Amino acid sequence: MNSWERFRKRLKGETVDRPPNFDIMMTFACHYINEPLCRYYQDYRVLCEANLAVLEAFDLDIVQAISDPYREAADFGAKIEFPENGLPICKEPLIRQESDLKRLVPVNPASGKRMNDRLEAVSLFRQHVGGQVPVMGWVEGAMAEAADLRGVSTVLMDIFERPEWLKELLEICVETGINFARAQIDAGADIIGLGDSVVSQVSPQQYEEFALPYQQRIFSAVKEMGAVPRLHICGNTSLILNQMAQSGAEIIDLDWMVDFGSAARLYGDYPVICGNFDPVKVLLQGTPALVKMETLKCLQTGGPRCINMAGCEVPFETPYDNLLAQTKAIKEFGSGLS
Amino acid sequence: MNDLIGQISICIERGKVNKAAPYPPDMREQDGADELTKQAIDDGIDPNEILHGCMMGMQKIGEKFSRNEAFVPELLMSAKAMTAVMAHLKPFFQSGNVKRKGKFVIGTVAGDLHDIGKKLVAMVVEGNGWDVIDLGVDVSADKFIAAIDEHPGCIVGMSALLTTTMVNMEKSIQGIRAKHPGTKVIVGGAPLSTEYANKIHADGYAADPQGAVNLLNGF
Repeated sequence: MNSWERFRKRLKGETVDRPPNFDIMMTFACHYINEPLCRYYQDYRVLCEANLAVLEAFDLDIVQAISDPYREAADFGAKIEFPENGLPICKEPLIRQESDLKRLVPVNPASGKRMNDRLEAVSLFRQHVGGQVPVMGWVEGAMAEAADLRGVSTVLMDIFERPEWLKELLEICVETGINFARAQIDAGADIIGLGDSVVSQVSPQQYEEFALPYQQRIFSAVKEMGAVPRLHICGNTSLILNQMAQSGAEIIDLDWMVDFGSAARLYGDYPVICGNFDPVKVLLQGTPALVKMETLKCLQTGGPRCINMAGCEVPFETPYDNLLAQTKAIKEFGSGLS
Repeated sequence: MNDLIGQISICIERGKVNKAAPYPPDMREQDGADELTKQAIDDGIDPNEILHGCMMGMQKIGEKFSRNEAFVPELLMSAKAMTAVMAHLKPFFQSGNVKRKGKFVIGTVAGDLHDIGKKLVAMVVEGNGWDVIDLGVDVSADKFIAAIDEHPGCIVGMSALLTTTMVNMEKSIQGIRAKHPGTKVIVGGAPLSTEYANKIHADGYAADPQGAVNLLNGF
C-alpha cells in the first residue's frame, strides 16, 4: 500500500496497513539536507529536495509545499527579508492605515514571485511522487493573511475598532486565497492546507464572524475542484472545535493543547483529526520511549480515521531517533503489535 | 475608592481608550481612560491611586480571561486603555513621585516577531509598579546587552512563540551573562517550559503575565 492509497482509505475509514504520518517538516527538512533556510523559502527546488529527503528517511505519507506565512503577503507588496538561517521577516506591515486598503488588489498567483514559486513546488512534487504520495498545497486563511498584512495585534484590535473595514480587507484576502488554492490544485495538489492560527486567540463568536465564513468559501472552492481541504490552527482551539468543524475541512489539525480523545468523540467520523503530541516536550526534548508512548496514545484515542503527526511543526533540532521512534510506533500500531 | 478611580478601572477592564473610541459600543461618547486620568490628575488625586485603579481593572479582565469570558482581542483593548493612562503618569514616574519596584527590559528573541504575549506581560508588569523598557521584537543579544548597559540592575525578559526561534534564547542568555554575569533573565512563550528554561540557564519561566510579576517580585 503506498502513501496515497493509505491516505485515501484512512479518510474513508477503510482498513489500512498503518495510519498515515503527516508530520509538518519545514525548517527540519531544510536542515536535514544542509541548506540555509533562505534558500528553502525562495527556491522551490530546495524545498522539494528537502521534503523528498525526509519523506524517504522517516517514512512520511505526505509532501508539503508549506513554508512560511508570507507567500501571499510578499506578492501583495509587503517587503520580506530572508535572513541566511532564520525565518522570513516582515518588519513593516503593508497595510498601516485604513486608506492603504485602496491600493490592495487580489493577486494572480501565477504572476506573483513567491506564490508562483509554491506553484512550481507543487508541480515538481507531482512529477516526483504524484499518485504515490499525497501532495499538499497551502494558503493563508483570510484572518491569517490580514494579520500578515497588518500585524497580529493590530488585526485583533481591528475586530473592535473597525470591523466593517476589516471585512473589506478579509474580502481581498479570501479572493486571493481562493485563487491561490485553485492554482495549486491545477498544479497538482491533492490537499490544500489552510493556516489560520491567529484565530486561536479569538472568541467562538468572533471566529464565527471573522474567520468561519472565509474558511468556508476557500474550502468550498477546494472541494469543487476535487481536492481535500485541511484546516490548521496552531494553539489551543478547544473552545472553537465546533466552529472549525463547520469550515468544510475534511482534515482538522489539532495542536497538542487540545484533548485528542475529546475531539475524536465530538467529531465522530467527520472531519478526520490529525495530531497531536507536543512537538517540543515529546519530539524535541523527549526520548524514543516517550515518543512511542505519546504516538500510540494519539492513535488509540483519535479514532479509526485519525492521522498521526506532532501537534505542530517538527522542531529543527529534533533527534532523528525520535522521528524514527514515531514511525516505528505507527507501524507497530498498524500491525497490531501495540 | 474614589469614583474617578473606579471609572478608570472600568475603562481598563472594558478597553475604553478615550471618548472618540467606538469600543465598547455601550460606552460610546463617554470619557475613556485618557480623559478620566487627566481629570484625576487635575483633581490632585495621588498617581499611586490611579495606578492602583489600573491594576484593579487589569485584574478583572485577567479573571474574565481565565474564565474564557474574554479573549486576546479584549486584553489588547485593555492594554491600549492602560497605555493611555500610563502616558499621563509618565511625568510622575520620572519625577519619582510614583515609586517603581525596579527596571524590567523585555523583548521577543532574535528572529521572532510575535509580540502579543510580550505586550501583555509588559503591560501587567508595568501596572504592578515596574519600570518597563520594551525593546520590541526580533531583539538581538547585542540589543539586550546595550539595554542592560543603559539600565544597570535591570531584569531581562525574553519571549518566543516558535520552536525555531526559542533556541536563540540560549545564545542571548550566554551573550548577556558574558558581559553582565549577575543579570537575571526570565523567559516565556508557548513552546517553553520550566525544564527548557533550566536547560538554557534562565533564572525563571513564566507561563503567563501574572507568573512574570510573581517571578520579578520574588527576586
